[in-house]
Amino acid sequence: MAAKTSAPVRSRMYVRFSFADRVQHLLLLLSFTTLAVTGLVQEFAENPVSLFIIRLWGNVDNIRLTHHAAATVLMLIAIYHILGFGYKVFVLRQRMTMLPGFQDVKDALRAFAYNIGLSKTRPQMGRYTFEEKAEYWALVWGIIIMGLTGFMMWNPVETVKFLPGEFIPAAKAAHGAEAVLAVLAIIVWHMYGVHLKRFNKAMWTGRLTEEEMLHEHPLELADIKAGMDKPALEANALRRRQRIYYPVAAVVGAAMLFAVYGFVNGEQTAITTIPPQAATVEVFVPETPTPLPPTPTPLPSPTAAPTSEASNGTPSSPTWDSTIGPLFAAKCNACHIATISGGLNLSTYADVMKGATDGPVIIPGDSAHSKLVIVQSAGNHPGQLSADELALVKQWIDAGAPEK
Amino acid sequence: MKWFSNRFKLVFLIVGVILLFVAAAALASPADAAKPSHLVSQSAPPDKPSNAYCLSCHSRSGMTKTLPNGEVLSLYIDPNLFDHSIHNQQNMDCVDCHTNISTFPHPDFKANSLRDVTLQLYGTCKNCHASEFNQTLNSVHQKALDAGNSNAAVCTDCHNPHQQTRLIDPQTGKLSQDARLEVPQTCARCHSTIYNTYKSSVHGAALTQYGNLDVPTCIDCHGVHNIQDPNSAQFRNAIPQLCAKCHTDPRIMNKYGISTQVLNTYVSDFHGTTVTLFEQVSPNTPTNKPVCTDCHGVHDISNVNNPATGIAIKQNLLVKCQRCHPNVTTANFTDAWMDHYVASPQKFALVYYVNLFYKFFIPLVIGGMLVFVVTDFIRRMAEARKGARH
Repeated sequence: MAAKTSAPVRSRMYVRFSFADRVQHLLLLLSFTTLAVTGLVQEFAENPVSLFIIRLWGNVDNIRLTHHAAATVLMLIAIYHILGFGYKVFVLRQRMTMLPGFQDVKDALRAFAYNIGLSKTRPQMGRYTFEEKAEYWALVWGIIIMGLTGFMMWNPVETVKFLPGEFIPAAKAAHGAEAVLAVLAIIVWHMYGVHLKRFNKAMWTGRLTEEEMLHEHPLELADIKAGMDKPALEANALRRRQRIYYPVAAVVGAAMLFAVYGFVNGEQTAITTIPPQAATVEVFVPETPTPLPPTPTPLPSPTAAPTSEASNGTPSSPTWDSTIGPLFAAKCNACHIATISGGLNLSTYADVMKGATDGPVIIPGDSAHSKLVIVQSAGNHPGQLSADELALVKQWIDAGAPEK
Repeated sequence: MKWFSNRFKLVFLIVGVILLFVAAAALASPADAAKPSHLVSQSAPPDKPSNAYCLSCHSRSGMTKTLPNGEVLSLYIDPNLFDHSIHNQQNMDCVDCHTNISTFPHPDFKANSLRDVTLQLYGTCKNCHASEFNQTLNSVHQKALDAGNSNAAVCTDCHNPHQQTRLIDPQTGKLSQDARLEVPQTCARCHSTIYNTYKSSVHGAALTQYGNLDVPTCIDCHGVHNIQDPNSAQFRNAIPQLCAKCHTDPRIMNKYGISTQVLNTYVSDFHGTTVTLFEQVSPNTPTNKPVCTDCHGVHDISNVNNPATGIAIKQNLLVKCQRCHPNVTTANFTDAWMDHYVASPQKFALVYYVNLFYKFFIPLVIGGMLVFVVTDFIRRMAEARKGARH
């Protein structure tokens, strides 16, 4: 659109992004894409496309290695960006044109009003439009969230020294959801803003024409023409500030690099390969020197369902109807029927076998692991059974807890 | 169904043998036709000697032969057990397997030891049970045998041909309930240590003490004739799917109040995702991420609520974590694994609310972007058209 209306005369070019800025963007583009691909295939691991991509890498461990490498690159870019920001603001005294302000909210509302026909004109914007600021700060937010949650997943053992263990799966949930958000935002916002709306090549060429500047950054253009875009730098003061900034930046940069080193190498057990421990049992241990003929195979007998074996107790052994039911009625039902303490009703055989809200209390055949016995064995239950009564209950459970 | 076709082959073979027998019986004396015939008094040796003829000697208990290495080979066939054996009931003759014997005295048989006897004779099973026999050729037992371990199991170590009763329930076409109950004892003949461990596990105790057939026997995990090396990467990577066969089946699990979410919660966890991807993408590559058995045990699987060993108790689980994460010191770490729970306001609330937040935050942000982008695009299209008209 802009090109169509521009005069055939070559218009003046304006530098928008320095070479260093463009290299940063390229590295960001590569690391972000790598992170997105290697991350989303883990988030959606069962998707056939994911499986295809994982096959390309060999296995998911290689995917993770790539993911970690790209994350490290992104952290290094962030460190460079922070140091570069410090240099521009402190040494070069440049204005912080990326800072969001109330004006950006007004611009956004104005732009939307214009889009839906409520305003006659588009907002006039400066070096960074509200769209660009939104994207930049979304990226900053995303990197912080991904960095923190990524740290927790990468270093879970260290993390739980300071935070509850639950933070690890929560970090995983946030990391995956934030990734989906970031990728969708890039597709919708970035793709539209710099590719679809108008194919903006400034991030590659570094320059915009005057026409483009007038359309997209008219306030900045006005500042440039008025000579207000960059503060005048006095050579001595500049050198003095550099002498202060370089050592400070070196220390801060070293500290951040050390932090990244710790992030990446601090904890090994979660990622290095400890081989799975093979079974250490003796495999061949014959019961007896194998005779021929070996142990006879018993004849099949037309017995009833195997479960009935458990209830074939001798007449003297306790059953629910004969012994346990009346015992529970006498000792337990004060609480475990009227108020159903713990969700446990001990009044009928069916209710007893159903158990409490948190699971069964009787494991037929296994009194030692039956919760009722465990609780009673502690000896301080409000309705405490005597030792003999408890023995009877255990005998009943071990016999399969028969009803009749 | 491969198994079905095996069954049919077997049936055809048996039918064929019966037809041969009937034909032979028609030619031979009528007295030999009646079965079980070992009750019939000794008769003259025919071309194909009858079982009665063989048993006239071999039903004498205490009939033995001392082998060169000093071991005593029993030559006694218990007539009662043989009578009930599936081979007898399918009218198999002794000489159908002992093909080199037709009369007395027998041809010379040289074997140095009892094991030698078995190894010389078991190949005859292949004549009728080719499918099962061929499956064993790929098994861990056959590999051990090939590697020179003569103790490795062959057909007759598990199935005594003179006593083996019917294993397949003719109505269901599956292994009969009685046969399933017998399985662990069969394996225990050689793997007694493992059997003793199994017997005290939550599965083994249910089977051996209560005849509960909902639980796995040896073969449900290891297979039958083509038993594979359980220490291979491939076997290990497939363990979650193996356990899931029963543990995601509500018909079995509901009886015991056990969650059927154990597989999907495992797969959605970091460890489970990894193992699942290895299983699907590179099944033969080992991974150190834990499978079911690493935390729950192998043959010694216990109830998770067992105070001594159950991993629902944090301190017990911590020990399992430390096998791979040795520098973990706090039981806090065990909460990094969600205990097979699906996050909810009650369990792992933080995870639940993180998910809930993004469930609304993502559509809100992306939706807002879309609204702006779409209106912006429409407006610019309109402008372009207007510009073109100018």
